[in-house]
Amino acid sequence: MTTRIDRRQFLMGTSALVAAGAAGVMPAWAQADSLRLIFWGGQARADLTYGVTDLYKAAKGTDVEGEFLAWNDYWPKLATQTAGGNAPDIIQMDYRYIVEYAKRNAIAPLDEFVGGALQLADFDADQLEGGKVDGKLYGISLGANSVASLVNLPAFEEVGIEAPTNAWTYDDIMTMGEAFNSANIRGGMKVISDGSYTEPMLDNWLRQRGKALYTADGKLGYDEDDAIEWYTLWSKLRDAGVCVSAEDQAIDTGAVETTMLVQGKSAIMPSNSNQLVGYQAIMQDTLGMIGYPRIAPGAGGGHYRKPSMFFSVGGSSAKKEAAAEFLNFFISDPEAAKILGVERGVPCIAATRDIVAPTLDSQSQIALNFVANLGDLLGALPPSPPAAAGEIDASLIRTLGQEVGFGAKTPEEAGRELISGANDILSRA
Amino acid sequence: MTTRSLESAAPTRERVATPTVWSRIWQNDAPGYLFLLPWLIGFLGLTIGPMVTSLYLSFTDFDLLTSPDWVGASNYMRMFTNDPKFWASMRVTMFFVIFSVPLKLAFALMVAMLLNRGIRGLPLYRALFYLPSLLGASVAIAILWRQIFAGDGLVNKLLAVFDIAGPSWISNPKTSLWTLIILSIWQFGSPMIIFLAGLRQIPQDMYEAASLDGASRWRQFVKITLPLLTPVVFFNAIIQTIEAFKSFTPAFIISGGTGNPINSTLFYTLYLYQEAFAFFRMGYASALAWVLLALVGIFTAISFLSSKYWVHYDE
Repeated sequence: MTTRIDRRQFLMGTSALVAAGAAGVMPAWAQADSLRLIFWGGQARADLTYGVTDLYKAAKGTDVEGEFLAWNDYWPKLATQTAGGNAPDIIQMDYRYIVEYAKRNAIAPLDEFVGGALQLADFDADQLEGGKVDGKLYGISLGANSVASLVNLPAFEEVGIEAPTNAWTYDDIMTMGEAFNSANIRGGMKVISDGSYTEPMLDNWLRQRGKALYTADGKLGYDEDDAIEWYTLWSKLRDAGVCVSAEDQAIDTGAVETTMLVQGKSAIMPSNSNQLVGYQAIMQDTLGMIGYPRIAPGAGGGHYRKPSMFFSVGGSSAKKEAAAEFLNFFISDPEAAKILGVERGVPCIAATRDIVAPTLDSQSQIALNFVANLGDLLGALPPSPPAAAGEIDASLIRTLGQEVGFGAKTPEEAGRELISGANDILSRA
Repeated sequence: MTTRSLESAAPTRERVATPTVWSRIWQNDAPGYLFLLPWLIGFLGLTIGPMVTSLYLSFTDFDLLTSPDWVGASNYMRMFTNDPKFWASMRVTMFFVIFSVPLKLAFALMVAMLLNRGIRGLPLYRALFYLPSLLGASVAIAILWRQIFAGDGLVNKLLAVFDIAGPSWISNPKTSLWTLIILSIWQFGSPMIIFLAGLRQIPQDMYEAASLDGASRWRQFVKITLPLLTPVVFFNAIIQTIEAFKSFTPAFIISGGTGNPINSTLFYTLYLYQEAFAFFRMGYASALAWVLLALVGIFTAISFLSSKYWVHYDE
C-alpha cells in the first residue's frame, strides 16, 4: 500500500500539528494505549530494557515507548518535561532525587496498587523501605548494589604482594603503596586512586566512625574535625606517593575511560558493585572486587545495600495502574529477569535472584556474591539525602579535595570550608 | 513647506486621507510582512519570548518542578555580595577574553599578511586555514584537544624528544586555561578572511610611494597598513570579544562539565549552565545570563565610544 500526501494535505496536516502544539494538546495518536518510559544509562542498558518491553508487548499487548539519556542529560530533561506537564508514565529515579520529586508530587505514591497490580510480598524489606518517602511508597528498587573497590589483580602479582581482601584497612594502603613504589611497575603505577574527593568514600569512612554525610532531617552529619582528619589522611598518602598525584587524578572527569584504573595509573579504585562489568569490558587485566578500606581492623558498618535505582510512576500520569502493572512485570517476570540480569543491581525478590544466578557470567557472579556476602561491612540504610546533596558534592567535595591535592589549600582550610560551604548550600536550598 | 501649509489650510481633506494612507500601507507592506512571517514568528516566539521570560525568572526562585517564587532583586544581590564562585568564574572568563582575543587577532592578521603576498594556490591555503574555524567549536575537536594536551598526549611526546618532561596540561590548574586559549587562537579563520579582504582594499600605490621615500617594511606596516585596516580590526575585535564571552563548548567538554581542575576552567557560561541544569536554579541562572548580556553590552559600548580615537575611516 502506498500513501501519497499531496502538498495541500501536507500543509494542512502540519498546520494542524502546529495548532495542536500551540494549544498544548497532544495529538491523539501519542496517547493511544501505550506507556512512556524514561531512564538513564547507555546502549547496553537500553538493549536489555527494550528486550523486556518487547516481552511485555507480546504478553499483554501494551506498547511501552522507551527513551534513554546519559545521567548528566537525564535530569535536566526530566525536570523540563515535568515542568511542562508532560512527564512520562514510568520514570527511572535515583535515591538522590526521590525525596525532591515525591515532595513536589512529580511522582505518585504507589500504595494503592500494592497487593493488586503490584505484588511485593516477597520483596526485600530493606529495598522496599528505601523507596519510601514519609511512609509512602514512591519507588520500586530495581536492584541492590553497594560501594566496592575494583582491584587490578595482575598488578598485585607483578608487585609480588597479596591482593587485599575485605579485611583491608587504610593503614594497609600505606604499606601496600610502599611495595608498589619500590617495585615500580608499569611506569610508576600507584596502589590506589585519590579517593579524597569521592563522596561515597567519605560517606563510608564517616559511617565507620559512627557519623554520616547527612542526618535524617537533612543536616550535615559530621563536623570540621572529621573533615580535617579526612583531608589530612589523604594528604599523607599523597605526600608519600602512595595514591596518584593530583595532576593525574584531575584527568578523571567521571567517564569510565578517564578513570585512573582504566588509565593504568592505579591498581585499586573506589567504585560500585554493579560497575565491575562495565570496567572489565574495556580492560585487559582481570578485576577483583573488595569492600572499601576499614578505618581499623575489624571496624565495619560503612557499607549498605543501596537501591541502585527505582522505577517510579509520573505524578501526572493518566495511566498509573497500567504503569504499576508494567513495574510488576519488570521486577518479577522470570523471562524479564533473565534478560535484565544484574545490570541494574542485584534483584530484590529472592525467587528472581534464583532464576538469574545460573545465567550470569563470571563478573556478574562476583558482583552478586559481593553484595550477598558483605558480612560485618554491612550497616543500616542511611536516610535519603537532602536535595542539595548533589550540589555539595559537585561544588565542594570534588573541588576542595582537588585544591588540597594541588596544594592550594591546607587540610585545615579545606575542612573548615567544606562545613561552612555545605551549611550555606543547605540553608539556601 | 508648501505642502504643509496647504494641508493645514484644508484640514478636512487630511481626515479623509488618513484611512487611504493606512489602506495603502496595508496594500503595499502587508505582502512583505506576510513573507517575513516565518521569521517574525520565530523571532517573537523563540527569541523575544524566552528573553522576556528569562528576565522575569531572574527575579524569582524557580526549580522547574514548582512554580516560580518572586524574590525581587535578591538573585542579583547574592551574585555581587555573597557568591565567590560568581567572581571566580568572572575572573576565568575575563582572563580568557583579555588574552585570547588580542592573540587571536594578531595571529589572524599575521597569516592574512602572509597570504596577501600573491602566492600561488591562495584559495587552497585560504580554505585550509579556515578549516579549524569550522571544526573548532565542535565536540570532536574538544575531545581531540584533551588527547593532545593530556599527560601522555602529543605535546608531551614532542617535548620528550627534547628531553623535557611536560606536565599534564589539561589537568594542571596553572596551564589548563591556556590550552583553551590556544584552542581559541587556533580558530583564527574567520577574522583572517576578513583581514585578507581588508588588506586587498589598501591601494598598492601607497606602498610604492612609501618605498620610494625609503620607508622600511615595518614603517609601512605601522603607518599605512594598520591605520587603513583599523575599521576591520574594530569589527573583528567586537565580534571576537562577544564570541569569547560566550565560549562554552570547549570548557564543557574538556573539563567534563565541571570547570575543574580547581575551577580553573569554570567559564562564566559554564557556571551559568551548572546553576541552571545541574542545580536547577533557573532564577539565579537567568540573572547570571542577564548580567552577562549587560557585560557584553558594556564592552561593546566602550569599544564603540573609543573607536573615534583610533579607527580611521576613509574620508
